[in-house]
Amino acid sequence: MKQRARTLLHWLAGWLVLFCPQLVLAQPSPNTPPPDFSPRVFEIARELRCPVCQGESAAESNAGIALEMRRIIAELLAQGKSEAEIRQFFVERYGDWILYEPPARGLTLWVWLSPLLGLGLLGFGLWRYLARVGAQAKAPIADVSEEEIARLEAELHSLERRP
Amino acid sequence: MLRFWPIWVLLLGGLFYWGMQRPNPNELKSVLKGRPAPTFSLPLLEPYRAQYGTEMGVREGLNKPVVLNIWASWCLPCRTEAPLLERFHQQYKDQVLFLGVNVQDKESEALRFVQQYGLTFPSVYDERGRIGIEYGYYGVPETFIIDRNGIVLERHTGELSEAQLQQYLRQVLP
Repeated sequence: MKQRARTLLHWLAGWLVLFCPQLVLAQPSPNTPPPDFSPRVFEIARELRCPVCQGESAAESNAGIALEMRRIIAELLAQGKSEAEIRQFFVERYGDWILYEPPARGLTLWVWLSPLLGLGLLGFGLWRYLARVGAQAKAPIADVSEEEIARLEAELHSLERRP
Repeated sequence: MLRFWPIWVLLLGGLFYWGMQRPNPNELKSVLKGRPAPTFSLPLLEPYRAQYGTEMGVREGLNKPVVLNIWASWCLPCRTEAPLLERFHQQYKDQVLFLGVNVQDKESEALRFVQQYGLTFPSVYDERGRIGIEYGYYGVPETFIIDRNGIVLERHTGELSEAQLQQYLRQVLP
């Protein structure tokens, strides 16, 4: 009986080893561009908003306008335009809004500077706290009141007397 | 620094409120406003060819203000807007060119739409919606008001009301 169960387990393990990788491979990998455009078209389109969509780039959306944007990118690439020139093509028609990564100028400069500002404020707060703790540690003994010294000495004596 | 916590709360609250203000799509400004309108020439839908020729578009030397309306037959607001545009075209056709651009549509559907609403102002056919992108459009309907010198004065997203169209025309009429 045990032998039969062991054989069955081996058989199952064999199946899993043989077929699981194939099952994984059979899954369509996400973000794979359809065969009509080159992956570079989708790389550029990913940086551009789809004007009629909510939170989707021109690479992800199937809206007609996004499809046309991908066609335009493919045409401009075929004409030998650089990625920067293609991005500029859309900025000239839609403004900086069309870019997912806002340019580091004007009002959007805040988006880039705010993490640095936050880090600076955090560092300043930490420095102030550490300075205060350090100053307290280095405070001269004269700052301790006589009453506190007397109480400490009494506690020390009581400890020494214990067996 | 913690002593000023009400100021910090107010500042962060203000920043959060400002960040949450989503722009009204009807107020999206066009980068084309105040700039020359992109020129184009596209094939006219069949019913207009006898009167206007095979192609039409925005070009230099028109010497007439243009109301450029981007539409599609599948768009519901375009259906409510079409009779208004037709009425204004009848009223101002000698002074203003009303030009429709049918985008991302089937030509047969566009022709049915034109026939259904009895539209006499010319419409060109742009299956891919390329001209829409040249004008930086967000969807349909969208209307551009172009003065007689070919400068874009206004961009209107969404359905036009009679009062809005009247106000736009006042800007371009002599």
